[in-house]
Amino acid sequence: MVAFTEELVDAPVGKIQLWRGGSGPQLVYLHSAGGENVNPALEQLAESFEVLVPIFPGFAESEGIEEIDGMEDAVFHLLDLWEILGLDAPPILGLSLGGWLALELATRYPERVSKMVLVNPVGLHLDEAPIAEMFGRTPGELADMLFADQSYPLAAAMHEMDAFAGDVGKETEIPLEFVLPMWKALGATARLGWDPYLHNPKLRGRLRRITAPTLIVAGAQDGLVPLVYAETFAAEIPGARLEVIEGAAHWLPFEKPDELSALVQAFLA
Amino acid sequence: MRCFAFHLMPYIGLDPAYEGPAWVTVPNSLYDPGVGHQLYNRYLDELIYAEELGFDGVCVNEHHQNAYGNMPSPNLIASILARQTSRLKIAVVGNALPLYDPPTRVAEEFAMIDVISGGRLIAGMVVGGGPEYYSFSVNPSYARERFREAHDLIKKAWTEPGPFEWVGKHFRIRYVNPWPRPIQQPHPEIWIPGAGSLETFEFVARNRYSYMGIPYFRFDVFERYFSMFRDACEAEGYTADPLQAGWLVPIYVAETDEQARKEYEEHLWYFVKRLLPGITIQPPGYTSARSLASILKASGTFMLNVETWEEIIEGRYAIVGSPETVADTLVDSLSRLGTGNLLGLFQLGSLPHDLTTRNMQLFADKVMPRLRAEFPEGGPVYRPPVGVA
Repeated sequence: MVAFTEELVDAPVGKIQLWRGGSGPQLVYLHSAGGENVNPALEQLAESFEVLVPIFPGFAESEGIEEIDGMEDAVFHLLDLWEILGLDAPPILGLSLGGWLALELATRYPERVSKMVLVNPVGLHLDEAPIAEMFGRTPGELADMLFADQSYPLAAAMHEMDAFAGDVGKETEIPLEFVLPMWKALGATARLGWDPYLHNPKLRGRLRRITAPTLIVAGAQDGLVPLVYAETFAAEIPGARLEVIEGAAHWLPFEKPDELSALVQAFLA
Repeated sequence: MRCFAFHLMPYIGLDPAYEGPAWVTVPNSLYDPGVGHQLYNRYLDELIYAEELGFDGVCVNEHHQNAYGNMPSPNLIASILARQTSRLKIAVVGNALPLYDPPTRVAEEFAMIDVISGGRLIAGMVVGGGPEYYSFSVNPSYARERFREAHDLIKKAWTEPGPFEWVGKHFRIRYVNPWPRPIQQPHPEIWIPGAGSLETFEFVARNRYSYMGIPYFRFDVFERYFSMFRDACEAEGYTADPLQAGWLVPIYVAETDEQARKEYEEHLWYFVKRLLPGITIQPPGYTSARSLASILKASGTFMLNVETWEEIIEGRYAIVGSPETVADTLVDSLSRLGTGNLLGLFQLGSLPHDLTTRNMQLFADKVMPRLRAEFPEGGPVYRPPVGVA
């Protein structure tokens, strides 16, 4: 197993936490609203790539969320990061919120992305199939949406957390060290996706501008983002391809790491 | 000290078959406007009665899309009170500033109430409860900074001649020039309700406003909060005036302790079990990481977790009993908190009109005189525990 190491880089918004693992061609991973710094698929990909995981402002130890007032600021932050890390047009793997960030970059600066693999991306709103509510949920309720198999260890742990979290005020002892990372992740996500809810009304009309070859990967049992979103992205991003994986939900890189890393390896080859 | 009668204007008669939260998603098909008509007029009568009884003032507040408190616009109720009373202070506690765009609307409406009432408004400004951010879709990660900017704008609109231009991050107004201006100069007394955020203590202390403790926590939480508030004032270089602090608490007085419990208990549990669920929802980004630890520490004592009458009484979630019991408990409580404003909820949950008015009357006749004698206007309220320097 390749070990990931942590460093702090100075960006205009503040100190940014960066995780790095493996060697080979570079691959940037943009995390989801969970703020995860690694997942089982990334660990496999680090066997063949140098994987870079910048933690977005407001998540974990990264600073600067007060400088981010929307997707325009988020995109400028990515451009700053590319400059700091010496990246010209890297391939991006993005999960959910990270997929949306990649799309905002690729529609505005198509030349700064070489290829994209987007797993259950958000960013659109379709009247006929709204994205489910992710705010104000207990960890157990989130696990129901994120995982196809509720016995997956992380899903089971989230269900156990319901005894502690959720409706603050319902419990007697809430360990701060457990609440704080989730608190920060949801707060930072709200900054980008509270209103409009997890989408940019302008994004759909801009998808035609994307030039990077794009693979959309969807979990067939995603309880947060209906499958029609992946189908719409695949239909409207020029030349994009769709892969639907059975037995996976929103956090597909956790439940189906073998399938995802094989798809990414083949697509980036 | 000053005694206020606070009203939430709750919905009574929520369908017993409904078991969900009383906030945000509680179906409004459960609201019967005919019942609402009776309730609004009954509740206004109760507030107006406070003037006859000699209360210093009345308090109303703002909540949206819920069964707990049916005043989405407390300013409408306050404007009726401005016309139908002649002496009472009218405290609107408060307007949820981040929900008003532009917030000059608050400057205008508060000034109207102040002018109509002849200068009797107390202007409350609040960040707004967690559920409000779901009901309005206002981004909770901007709650604090929108509140600050709206506050600065309203205060400038009241204290500096217009027209002027406001160019802020959240609000941009070419011509700020509200008519009318408030009667009270430089501006009405400002109250800020808070639930333990460090930023709020510091803000209130810095501006020399008054801090109102948002209720339904165990008594020791308020002791901690008001001590933190006094410290915040000391950090600003002055000692807090007792009138800079207010404690909001349900109160019920009857002839005896036994009778009080017998008459009150079912109505209190309607409040706890039917109207409170959903109030504590915390939207993302609404509380700073700095304040989170302090708030989590209090959360376990929240009234929703209370299951027994003994806990209610021991934790002083409500002050219930004979006039002697209530007066004794309040004298002890106020001297431990140092709050020169007592904001009593004399109607709670499903408490009916006759019991509410008798409660207010007994309080006014038998408790209020003792409190006023114990804590004369202008004198100290806080009494440090014996043996502590």
